[in-house]
Amino acid sequence: MPVPARRSLAAVAAAGLLSFGLVACGSGEDDAGDPGKAGDKIITVYSGRNENLVKPLLDKFSQQTGITVKTRYATTAQLAAQLLEEGDKSPADAFFAQDAGALGAVAKRDMFAPLPAADLEKVPQAYRARNGQWVGVSARARVLTYNADAVPTAELPKSVFELTDPKWKGKVGVAPTNASFQAFVTAIRVQHGDQKAKDFLAGLKANEPQIRDNNVKIVEDVDKGTIPVGLVNHYYLGEIAKEKGTTPDGLKAKLHFFPGGDTGALVNVAGVGVLKRSAEDPDTRAFVDFLLNPESQKHFAEQTFEYPVVAGIAAPAGVPPLTDLDTPDIDLNDLDTLDATITLIKDSGLVP
Amino acid sequence: MSEVVLTGVVKRYGPVTALDGVDLTVPAGALTAVLGPSGCGKTTLLRCLAGFERLDAGTIRVHGLQVAGPGRHLPAHRRRIAVVPQEGALFPHLTVAANVAYGLDRAARHGDRVDEVLALVGLAGYGDRMPHQLSGGQQQRVAVARALAPRPSLVLLDEPFSALDAGLRAGLRHDIREALRADGATAVLVTHDQGEALSVADRVVVLRSGRVVQSGSPTALYREPADQWVAGFVGDAVLLPAVAADGAARTPLGVLPISGATPDGPVTVLVRPEQLRLTPASTDAAVTATVLRHDFHGHDALIALRLADGTRVTARIWDEADPAPVGAEVAVHVEGRARAWPAPPSPAPVDTPALPVG
Amino acid sequence: MTVTTPDAGPARNGPARFGVPGRLRRLAPRPALLVASTAAVAVALVPLVYLAVRTAEAGAERIGAELWTERVGLLAARSLGLAAVVTAACVVLGVGTAWLVTRTDLPGRRFFAVLAALPLAVPTYIAAFAWVSTVDRLEGFWPAALVLTLCSYPYVFLPVAAALRGADPAQEEVSRSLGRGDWRTFTDVTLRQIRPATAAGALLVALYVLADFGAVSILRADTFTRAIFVAFDLGFDRTGALVLSCVLVALTVLLLAGETATRRRGARYARLGGARRPANRLRLGAARWPALAALVAVAVLALGVPAVSLARRLVSGVSRPGALTEVATAAGNSLWLSLAGAALTMLLALPLGLLTARAPGPVATVLDRLAYLAHALPGVVIGLSLIFFGITVARPLYQTSWLLALAYATLFLPLAVGSVAGAAAQAPPGLEEVARSLGRGPLAVLRTVTLPLTLPGIGAGAALVFLTGMKELPATLLLRPTGTDTLATELWTATSVGAYAAAAPYAALLVAISALPTWWLVARGGLLDKEDR
Repeated sequence: MPVPARRSLAAVAAAGLLSFGLVACGSGEDDAGDPGKAGDKIITVYSGRNENLVKPLLDKFSQQTGITVKTRYATTAQLAAQLLEEGDKSPADAFFAQDAGALGAVAKRDMFAPLPAADLEKVPQAYRARNGQWVGVSARARVLTYNADAVPTAELPKSVFELTDPKWKGKVGVAPTNASFQAFVTAIRVQHGDQKAKDFLAGLKANEPQIRDNNVKIVEDVDKGTIPVGLVNHYYLGEIAKEKGTTPDGLKAKLHFFPGGDTGALVNVAGVGVLKRSAEDPDTRAFVDFLLNPESQKHFAEQTFEYPVVAGIAAPAGVPPLTDLDTPDIDLNDLDTLDATITLIKDSGLVP
Repeated sequence: MSEVVLTGVVKRYGPVTALDGVDLTVPAGALTAVLGPSGCGKTTLLRCLAGFERLDAGTIRVHGLQVAGPGRHLPAHRRRIAVVPQEGALFPHLTVAANVAYGLDRAARHGDRVDEVLALVGLAGYGDRMPHQLSGGQQQRVAVARALAPRPSLVLLDEPFSALDAGLRAGLRHDIREALRADGATAVLVTHDQGEALSVADRVVVLRSGRVVQSGSPTALYREPADQWVAGFVGDAVLLPAVAADGAARTPLGVLPISGATPDGPVTVLVRPEQLRLTPASTDAAVTATVLRHDFHGHDALIALRLADGTRVTARIWDEADPAPVGAEVAVHVEGRARAWPAPPSPAPVDTPALPVG
Repeated sequence: MTVTTPDAGPARNGPARFGVPGRLRRLAPRPALLVASTAAVAVALVPLVYLAVRTAEAGAERIGAELWTERVGLLAARSLGLAAVVTAACVVLGVGTAWLVTRTDLPGRRFFAVLAALPLAVPTYIAAFAWVSTVDRLEGFWPAALVLTLCSYPYVFLPVAAALRGADPAQEEVSRSLGRGDWRTFTDVTLRQIRPATAAGALLVALYVLADFGAVSILRADTFTRAIFVAFDLGFDRTGALVLSCVLVALTVLLLAGETATRRRGARYARLGGARRPANRLRLGAARWPALAALVAVAVLALGVPAVSLARRLVSGVSRPGALTEVATAAGNSLWLSLAGAALTMLLALPLGLLTARAPGPVATVLDRLAYLAHALPGVVIGLSLIFFGITVARPLYQTSWLLALAYATLFLPLAVGSVAGAAAQAPPGLEEVARSLGRGPLAVLRTVTLPLTLPGIGAGAALVFLTGMKELPATLLLRPTGTDTLATELWTATSVGAYAAAAPYAALLVAISALPTWWLVARGGLLDKEDR
């Protein structure tokens, strides 16, 4: 083993570096773990919403208020798990979540502080927590996306329950691990009872659905024509169009809103909750206010293709306004019985 | 002056007793060889001396200072006992000079000592080489220089020549003995090669089954082995049954004078092959033999013989001018004295009391 | 080599070690090493402590309800099945490729040696994503097996290639001289010589498959890891996920027991002394063309498909990554975090590796095996366990780079320990004894002899940990300092909204940076050396 003499020097250096590392280890070189104080113009936000979608908005907030936002991005589910693990020692001030279910899970552990009535009142009752622990900031509708070449408009189902019909065998894309799908199944249970939900899942499974990891992949495949239809949230069309440098109109994938108050047209929200220790923090309050101000609401409509939840802001282009949608009569607060839904979904065999 | 003294040293590995009460004194400034067959415990003895192993019983003193004993184990690096392992074990990442300087104090590393010991082993000017650029013999020389450099109390050589070919071995052996002498070092050489032990050592200690069987000067060992086993182990031996009476033994080779005192009665006698003289057979010869085989070695030859009564013996001859052909009849007589031990078979050698040296 | 031949067998310790160690000193011959090793293993066991605490909270009834279901049985069967299929395929592919590039006159073999190691730089989520976008309706067990094989066969290739280069050709020559043909010699002698290396590599592959989430979630192969992720996604079901994780730990114990058995038998084939002499290369003759074609095909599948897919995505999309500074920052963060992780991992691995090599015995074996236990846990579980650890024990470290580095150490300790132990075992312990006999104390010997000689192994381990850390996503997402983006997290951010063109540069950079240590690993295995003779 011919090793030059200089190696011994390198070894000493390496050993030195390593031990230095151990020392530095104890000193904690950044203060990200520091919860910070109220009114220190710094807030920490756990964002289950994608960085690409919300970062411009958060930057705008910092610009306008001079408050620095430290953002942790991860999936909504992982952040919920992280918050539950951290408990009351969490360094987070606010949790900006992709769906109401995750907010509900954290709220159930009593980790959120009630929000000021002024904020809550901006949003319809259906889109916020009954006890005021979280509030929706943007809404998304469940839709059936379909490939215009593969499915004539006339043949589109009137109800989501028609998708268990043998004529849709192998043609429906679903993402059963997605929280939106899960909320949708809960909605069936709330509206029609557990048996109906169970039958629907069994029928769906028997129809050999095209299972995808997430909504983006379903919309992509529908647009390509490899799947004729898929159950997704409405705004994914906008995101795919953006990547292709076009508008939703330019895609082969189209949106179909189930009519007649069908469960398939459920409207869910992305929302925010404030951790208890920041209940009185003016910076965190400013953040919630900001998300609900007209400018931010417009941002959701224009940049993320979501529905604003505050009255008086226009819906995104290419979709009917929220008020025109024939949505099912469901209060999101009633969607907190997740355990039963999960058991149903697991039992159906749609997920591992 | 006694330099290193071992008293009742015992070392066990689980159920195996590797050293079974070794008493040994290594005189200062001399080269002592520990000779024994493989598995006799000689490497364990070396590792105990060096401090790589803890004793189960007994003590080791170096220069009067106890380095190992009950409740005491001076770690290897504080014993000033340097090792030269079998394969040299040069540090592959260091130059020859850095290898040699390894055991020196920081201040001494750049002094003359490195050049001095390198010159001593005949490698002056090799300091900048890397170990892999040296031949096997040169590597061993560096290993010896490295051990000598810090002037240790004791240098331990663990079969340092066994990996080398025969031609190289003799020269290197000599050079290293000279280097050790020139430096006034006290050294212990561990080996299973009796030729090596007898030729380089000032004293030889024979080890068997974890015990010292005999120790003494090479000549004493060869001429007056403590028992038959040592006799056979340190050289070619002709062992014959005999009956002793009045300082002589009646053997198949005739009546031979015995060296030393032996009680009368049945004995085993030792004669060395070189004590046998062969002459052309004649009718008046007392002992005759048939030549069975001829092993020619250049400087000498070993001749296997069958005596008239069927006993087989070996003779070493130097004069090969007119060798007796295989099958020929020759006359045999013995020069000098024979050594004798009471027979039949001598008691197990392990029971032979250890003889301390010095 | 990196992923190491555990051939530190008893032969190296000479006469020093036979019989049953009767006293504590024999059990623990190196107290300092033992203490440091125990500390390292304690770090690796943080996730298990977490699992135990959280699972116990769930209560026996809940655990029973989660555990004794047909679904868990199915998942276990499928996970083990996938691990078995992928490991077998990796052994065939890894050993075959290693043999071709080290023992035959294949044209361009050095080039192929690099190609065969490069998949190590491709994260499974990139590879799986590339395959899904290239072939329609690709999903399920077999596609996942394909992608995992293509991504992880270097774990077998690298150690086996190094072992083949280092193996004593005399044994093969003897076999041929005794009338065995080339093929019989290969199966009866060569394969046995490289068995410890193969087993060590295969173990890493099997554990990697159990822990992987990228390929199985994109390709929808229903394994434990996917079920664990789904449990988090579905109703934020921590308990269910953690109970499943416990089963995964149990499966790991099974695998480790299996490998330990092979290891013990393999030790007999360790090489004894002697100078290294290169083996003769087999002339392939006409067989070189199918051999070449096979290597090219594997390279195309493992590297070509992801490369083309990335390029296509880059060209077809209009989204663009953030400014150059953002990309550079992400790359810088990735580098820093992976380097910190590698440094910390090596610091912990060093005593354990040295203990395994220098004082082999039941204690060293148990510690070494314990270090592997957390290796098969999915990153999200490791992440949560260190959140738990950070919040309750090491609050000042929480959401700093160091806690993430600690997570990498927990995840990748086995990769590093193997490398250190392999290198230390190659340096004869006699050297250290000589050094001590020359009057240097234990620390000085460590600094001047052991570390310099083990440095190649330390480097190889660090390279492996570094590039694995670069690719790590789930634990990174949970533990990174708030506001810190890495290449992997940026990639995740972009792909989850379909901004593939924006993702492509991050993916390319991730693969490119990981390729450097990979190249180094190949070079260190001697696979790039000029012709041996």
